[in-house]
Amino acid sequence: MDYFEVFGLPRQLGIDTLALEKAFHDLSRKHHPDYFTRASPSEKTQAVRMTALLNDAYRTLRHPVRRVEYLLSLYGFKPDSSKVPQALLMEVFEINEQLEEVKAGKASVEEADSLRAQIKEKRERFDSQLQQASLEWDELVKRGEPEARLKEQLGRLTEILSESSYIRNLERELE
Amino acid sequence: MPKIVGIDLGTTNSLVAIVEDGTPRVLPGRDGSTLVPSVIYFDEGGTTVVGNPAKEKMVEKPKNTVFSIKRFMGKGIEDVREDLPLLPFEVAPESEHIIRLKIFGRDYTPPELSAFILRELKHNAEATLEEEIKSAVITVPAYFNDAQRQATKDAGRIAGLDVLRIVNEPTAASLAYGLDKRKQGTIAVYDFGGGTFDISILKLSEGIFEVLSTSGDTHLGGDDIDEILIRLVLGELKQRPDIHQLQAIRRAVNKAKEELSSANRADITVQELQYRRSMTREEFNKLIDPIIERTLRPCRQALQDASLKPTDIDEVVMVGGSTRIPLVRQRVQELFGRVPHTELNPDEVVALGAAVQADILAGSKRDMLLLDVTPLSLGIETMGGVMSKIIPRNSTIPASATEMFTTFVDGQTNVKIHVLQGERELIKDCRSLAQFDLKDIPPMPAGLPRIEVKFLIDADGILSVAAQEQRTNKYQSIEVKPTYGLTDEQVEHMILESFEYAEADIEARLVIEARNEAETVLNATAKGIADEQYANISEEEKAEIGAAIARLREVMRTNDHQVIRQAIERLGNATMHLAELIMNAAISKALKDKRVREIQ
Ligand SMILES: Nc1ncnc2c1ncn2[C@@H]1O[C@H](COP(=O)(O)OP(=O)(O)OP(=O)(O)O)[C@@H](O)[C@H]1O
Ligand SMILES: [Mg+2]
Repeated sequence: MDYFEVFGLPRQLGIDTLALEKAFHDLSRKHHPDYFTRASPSEKTQAVRMTALLNDAYRTLRHPVRRVEYLLSLYGFKPDSSKVPQALLMEVFEINEQLEEVKAGKASVEEADSLRAQIKEKRERFDSQLQQASLEWDELVKRGEPEARLKEQLGRLTEILSESSYIRNLERELE
Repeated sequence: MPKIVGIDLGTTNSLVAIVEDGTPRVLPGRDGSTLVPSVIYFDEGGTTVVGNPAKEKMVEKPKNTVFSIKRFMGKGIEDVREDLPLLPFEVAPESEHIIRLKIFGRDYTPPELSAFILRELKHNAEATLEEEIKSAVITVPAYFNDAQRQATKDAGRIAGLDVLRIVNEPTAASLAYGLDKRKQGTIAVYDFGGGTFDISILKLSEGIFEVLSTSGDTHLGGDDIDEILIRLVLGELKQRPDIHQLQAIRRAVNKAKEELSSANRADITVQELQYRRSMTREEFNKLIDPIIERTLRPCRQALQDASLKPTDIDEVVMVGGSTRIPLVRQRVQELFGRVPHTELNPDEVVALGAAVQADILAGSKRDMLLLDVTPLSLGIETMGGVMSKIIPRNSTIPASATEMFTTFVDGQTNVKIHVLQGERELIKDCRSLAQFDLKDIPPMPAGLPRIEVKFLIDADGILSVAAQEQRTNKYQSIEVKPTYGLTDEQVEHMILESFEYAEADIEARLVIEARNEAETVLNATAKGIADEQYANISEEEKAEIGAAIARLREVMRTNDHQVIRQAIERLGNATMHLAELIMNAAISKALKDKRVREIQ
């Protein structure tokens, strides 16, 4: 059972997170090991496995980036940060240098704030690209487009994730 | 249906509770108090006492009175090196991965020592409920790692308890707090006890208690505040104290610390050293400020992990004895911008919550459900000593992850997997959990075997691992070597030994009870001899009473309760006639008085 199936969802990227949470709670009430203390050992094991799967699925699907990564993995696609354009690498390199200064305490408060804002802006640009490409994916699936077109879109999603992984790492380091 | 109890196995105090008719209550101990100090006293004869009577021995018998053992659970000697100079215990040389305390020439591991406390709680519950208790839910600090949780489970097994669930202390507290299932919203539980600090952020909705994030420090509590004060006193002393005096200092600073929660000034008085000093709340606050700051960092981390701002928290719940300190309350209030809840008894709320969870497990409460998380990221060692995370911290448990492994050499039949917990990049900065050996891999060219390893963190927050070779579909045998824990065989061995203890304990209790009764009987006899009726029994009777008294006095200090009982019985028989005479006289006197009054 894949994570989408756990929730009875189609393999689409637009997910109503409130509805997802509700489904998560309902399914937890059904499968949680707490309700199987007096069951047979095999039923107990089943409850733990099922709940682990449910929790893994919820953790993955509620998060917009992890959700895309997971979808890609289902089709054998894997973001690869080594395949990004040279220009972007240069940009990241520069930001990284500034980041080192901030971390070493050499930068002023203003400089640090400006760096933070810069990274945030870039990340948000990727976020909106990802959102757009996700919407397109859902459209293609709904229209029942041929496999070649779907593959192309998966490639596009992979590319966005590969490129944005740098910025995400930088942002994490700043925290 | 057999009852399941909830146990708060605390660093300083332990409690046992149960839900009856939907309401949780704490069960009292032998002396009527609900808090059982987590102190174990060993006497020369090999018997043990737990709780308040043991606490009284801390100064007199420092070497064989064990306290705060929870701080040692799942730890090796290096982890506690800094604490040792201030502790009166003798540590056995073989303590690299599991600390062992030497008491009267015998080594005890922390799970064995904790088992003494659990046995006492089990006994207390059985005495109150008048039935045998076999199963329990035991709480642990939310930030406990795998080894510490496993050690707690081991302690339960050694004490003869089936540990149905390990529950996190702040989460348990939230269960007791939110028993009223109409409670909704986001709450933060700040649990600052004797040895550990936890912060958990939960979302409550329609009976579901969902932990969003947790953080903490398993080596930060009231004990650390005591240590600061002890060091202060040591610095002011002219001589180096011995371990008796050290314990007297500990007792004195602890008393002053607790007084300072309600008074503006308190005295630290150590009679044993003729030491006395006064301390103001202000001075105290300055000393403990760094400690409190160390609790606020995890709070900020937990907020960030839950993607929340302090103002998103609807309610803050305070748990643990150290939250009685005014400065703690003030700082927490400042951080969250709201007055924390202090109306619950901070000592009892965890045990009450554990009982609620026990009740859920017993199947009587389907409207409540706890969804907890793992506090630390789980990872495996990869090339270059780097930790690769496979289950991130704050994942709801049970949680799992699947990884593929292969071989590097042709015909290789063994693969080693090193599992760790922690947040840092390099494995040397993370906590080693265990080494797993995948064995009996079918010999194949390098890189060809595909061994799927499934890591599962169960609802107790404890890891298990299963492996399968994909090409042959064969389950691999796995040998687990816990880095900081007991193997199954060691635990089994301790369970066997514990039966001897249980017997020795019963024996000791019977002796004590017989002695107490002997004293009562001797006192009553002394009164009888002083009574005027004594003149009315025969000389032979008097001689027999005298002989029976002598016999009882003689055997009273032996350790044979049956012999003591026999002597009690002999004295009882010898004084039978005398007792009758006294009784009759009393009755006729009462009658006479009554008649006198009637006439009046
Ligand atoms: N009035 C008070 N003022 C300050 N500290 C207090 C007060 N009352 C109790 N304490 C401290 O609280 C600690 C014990 O708290 P508690 O019983 O909650 O801990 P515990 O549950 O045994 O420990 P843990 O949860 O860390 O394992 C001790 O350090 C004690 O000195
Ligand atoms: Mg506690």
